[in-house]
Amino acid sequence: MKKVIEVKNLTKKYKELKAVNGLSFDVYENEILGLLGPNGSGKSTTINCLLSLLNFDEGKIEILGKEMTPDLYEIKRKIGVVFQEVAVFDELTVYENIDYFCGLYIENKEKRKKYVKDALQLVKLEEFLNFKPKQLSGGLLRRLNIACGIAHKPEIIFLDEPTVAVDPQSRNNILDGIKKLRKDGATIIYTTHYMEEVELICDRIIILDKGKVIAEGTKEELKELTGIEEKVTIEINDLNESHIEEIYKLPNVKTVEYEGEKLVITYGKGKNNFSKLLDYLKKEEIYYNKIYSERPTLNDVFLELTGKELRD
Amino acid sequence: MFWHNLKYNLMFLFKNKNLIFWTFAFPIIMATLFNLAFSDIEKNEQLNKFNIAIVDNTEYQNDEVLKTTFQKLEKDIFDIEYTNIEKAKELLEEKEIVGYLEKKENNINININKNGIEETIFKYVVDEIMIINSVSKDLINDEIASNNQINYEEIYQRVLNKINEEIKLNDTSPSNLSYTMIEYYTLIAMTCLYGGIIGMTSTNNMLANMSKKGSRVAVSPIKKSKLLLSSTIASYIVEIIGVALLFLYTIFVIGVDYGDKIFPVILIALIGSLAGLTFGIAIATLIKKNETTKVGIIISITMICSFLSGMMGITMKYIVDKNFRILNLINPTSMITDGLYSLYYYPTMERYWFNIISLLIFSTVMILVSLVELRRQKYDSI
Amino acid sequence: MTVFKYFFKVMKEYKWTIVLYTVLLVGFAGFNLQTSDNSTNFMASKPDILVIDNDNSKLSKNLESYLKENANLKELENNEEKINDALFYRDVSLIIEIPKGYSNGIINNDKKDIVIKSTGDKEAEYGKMLLERYLKISNVYEDIKNEDLIINKINKQLESSVQVTIKSKLNTTELDKMAFFYNFANYSLLAGCVFVISTVLNSFKTKEIKKRTVVSSYNYKKYNSNLFKAGTIFGIVLWLLYLLISVILLGSSMITLHGLLFAINSFVFMICATQIAFLMGNLINNKEALNSVVNIIALGSSFLCGAFVPMQFLPDSVLKIAHILPSYWFIKNNEFIKELEVINVQTLEPYITNIIIIIIFILIIQIVTNIISKKKRKFD
Repeated sequence: MKKVIEVKNLTKKYKELKAVNGLSFDVYENEILGLLGPNGSGKSTTINCLLSLLNFDEGKIEILGKEMTPDLYEIKRKIGVVFQEVAVFDELTVYENIDYFCGLYIENKEKRKKYVKDALQLVKLEEFLNFKPKQLSGGLLRRLNIACGIAHKPEIIFLDEPTVAVDPQSRNNILDGIKKLRKDGATIIYTTHYMEEVELICDRIIILDKGKVIAEGTKEELKELTGIEEKVTIEINDLNESHIEEIYKLPNVKTVEYEGEKLVITYGKGKNNFSKLLDYLKKEEIYYNKIYSERPTLNDVFLELTGKELRD
Repeated sequence: MFWHNLKYNLMFLFKNKNLIFWTFAFPIIMATLFNLAFSDIEKNEQLNKFNIAIVDNTEYQNDEVLKTTFQKLEKDIFDIEYTNIEKAKELLEEKEIVGYLEKKENNINININKNGIEETIFKYVVDEIMIINSVSKDLINDEIASNNQINYEEIYQRVLNKINEEIKLNDTSPSNLSYTMIEYYTLIAMTCLYGGIIGMTSTNNMLANMSKKGSRVAVSPIKKSKLLLSSTIASYIVEIIGVALLFLYTIFVIGVDYGDKIFPVILIALIGSLAGLTFGIAIATLIKKNETTKVGIIISITMICSFLSGMMGITMKYIVDKNFRILNLINPTSMITDGLYSLYYYPTMERYWFNIISLLIFSTVMILVSLVELRRQKYDSI
Repeated sequence: MTVFKYFFKVMKEYKWTIVLYTVLLVGFAGFNLQTSDNSTNFMASKPDILVIDNDNSKLSKNLESYLKENANLKELENNEEKINDALFYRDVSLIIEIPKGYSNGIINNDKKDIVIKSTGDKEAEYGKMLLERYLKISNVYEDIKNEDLIINKINKQLESSVQVTIKSKLNTTELDKMAFFYNFANYSLLAGCVFVISTVLNSFKTKEIKKRTVVSSYNYKKYNSNLFKAGTIFGIVLWLLYLLISVILLGSSMITLHGLLFAINSFVFMICATQIAFLMGNLINNKEALNSVVNIIALGSSFLCGAFVPMQFLPDSVLKIAHILPSYWFIKNNEFIKELEVINVQTLEPYITNIIIIIIFILIIQIVTNIISKKKRKFD
């Protein structure tokens, strides 16, 4: 696979604080790479450095084989960015905003007209052409923000938390749009702290914490890191110590936790774990309200690696 | 609840840097600029000595009256250069002198560059000399006609005595004629009206169609009138502090003279601020646009009002008063300026009270308009 | 072209504010010019005098007609308050009230004093001197005791007067007016350019939008120069408007070489005003703060450099400070044109020097703007 972006040993300091600390990673052609990490883990800083919006202290950034500088317009032309903050003119309409930002890349008027139309279609804002940003709801505004960033059909797209504070409908719309962009051939770098989104759309995930890569791989690869195969949660009203100990002794059980009438059991591997547990509960005549089994999440991965929750 | 809202409104207003700048710092900066620009104007209005040249030829040397008069005037009015005709022309060309005098073939000639007060005075002095000569000749002729004994010396002396006799004029000039004071009065008036921005800001916070904060207030279980009253009082307090600071600065640093009646000055400051405040509230309720536009409107109207009451040229107020009086009768800036002016210049109070009542009427109209609008409001769109 | 075009699209959103502001500023200048007679000129060759004749005799009428010849006699409603206002605002410098029984007093050796009110300035002093001259001559002949004869004698003596040659062929009143109008341009052009351009620029320079611009493939220098071109076009429109008003108000005197010099001078200054606007647009990130900045720059420089108050009345210390402001050189140049008699390459030297100084200001401000803009390209 062709390397599109290469980051080596990137370090960015704010006074004493190392916001990004010796970060290295690669991005390959036509993949969706997720940068996952809690607030303040250095995701946005990394992206801003990549775009040479920020000066950094150490390291090397290459995009499409060239070292990135502020004046590298030929490379910039192939990049699209959707920032975390909504960056549009309050004075201009939806259409004018997209046309303006697209115009910063595409000189040809005819071509631009078509591109703006495509972008409007992608984010489904066709009905709001002549609205001013102030008249749009939060979700629609986010969609406009995305359209402004990608209207020029870039090869590489950076999306910095595009779904923060967005309603489910708009969120699905945005995620569908991203998938479509990839289908059309774009490489996408996607930062978020919503692990569900990452699991849903990313091919490869990099987990950041305190400015460092703590894990990298596909979601399956990452989940293997936890050594957990299955996680079962049961709501039980009363359970005594001896029950818990006996459950712990069941085959393949890795951990057992009982807190606030919720019993969480994790299994390292194996089959029929669930039915064995049910048999035990029946035998002991323990009554429960709800029971469900799930595969481990990226939050579990993060918990395993750092000892804390992804979202606090 | 009243005090709670008052307290938070005050906090909110004082923390608004931009607002504080407009109400507090901006007028003080302007006052300083006025002071720089105007400090010399009135001094310059008094007559200073100025340069002239006299062509020093034999004809001039032979004219005793001319010579002695100019020697006498050299002390007070002229700086005289005695020179030849070429040099005099050159000096005039280079505008080193106001003009030069030349006596040629029994004619006195004055050469000047343009018309102006100094040129006129130069001419006046020479005219005066010629008139004395003429009067003497006339009297001599009369003497010759009446009796044949002519005593030239005596006649000349008599003319001089008559001419130099002190003219008695009954001078009733008023004191307090310093018209640059108007400039500071318009500044006070402008500050009062800018106070409208404070009133507008805090009213906006109460209006559901203007701000999210307003919506929150609208759904709270408190009577809106109570909230509006307390927020208005908070704005009034902030505005008065701003105006008071400006007064103190103009009095103690710049030395502006507000006349000798202190309480009427305080009263007009209080009522002027009220007029500005109610103006701002009216704009906040009447104009359904964003805050920037409202600020723009308040500033534009204030600028027009200040212009008409003499801020960019003191005589403008007089010209408007004289020719388009109606404009200044509805102009709150002019009411405040005129009120302060009448305190400074007029010994009587009628005009002052007229302005105070005008300001009260203006404020009442603004309040009524705002109330009607507020009662009407059930927002079509938020 | 995109940036250029959208500069005006954003501007269109502020159209009413801009129209209001522009009309206001140009209107101020026009109104000011229309209403300016000698009262704003601070100096006049003839003093403005108000005569109140309570005597209505031949002698009092003779005094009045003498004053009419030598001064501007103002007509005012005989209303105490109006008269006092007129004196305060220097509409008249001197009020001469001839008391009832003035004429009889002279005939019957029971002279009544004339009442005056004066502003105490040059004009008033001169008016008083004129009055005193008349009264002195009148004193000489007071023994005649015949109204007609006295009048005859006085008038004959007043005839003698010196012959005056006025060197300058300039139409000073028209040139004064032109300089006055173009000095006011310091306020109108500065306030107009800074307000409008930096308001629009502000939208382009908000942090979020700037980030988008910087990461785009649009050449940053080209971007800035496009914004600059668009701003300059607005400046030119404002200048043309101002020029148009001056032609309407001042008529044919604008269509002279002097008028051309005023126009060129104000054009160069307009470019300078747009540069200041760009500097401010780059420096100030807050739309509301702009209002204060506009007023301080426009009003401040106008007061300090003599746009409202003629330069010759400003204290030297203030004028020294004013040297660091481009407005000073612009206004100084207007004052120079006003006095310029012969227009040729040699006499225009100071004019060109002043223009060059303004151009240097333009370059300095441009360099500073570029440095700031470059610095702000990267974020912290």
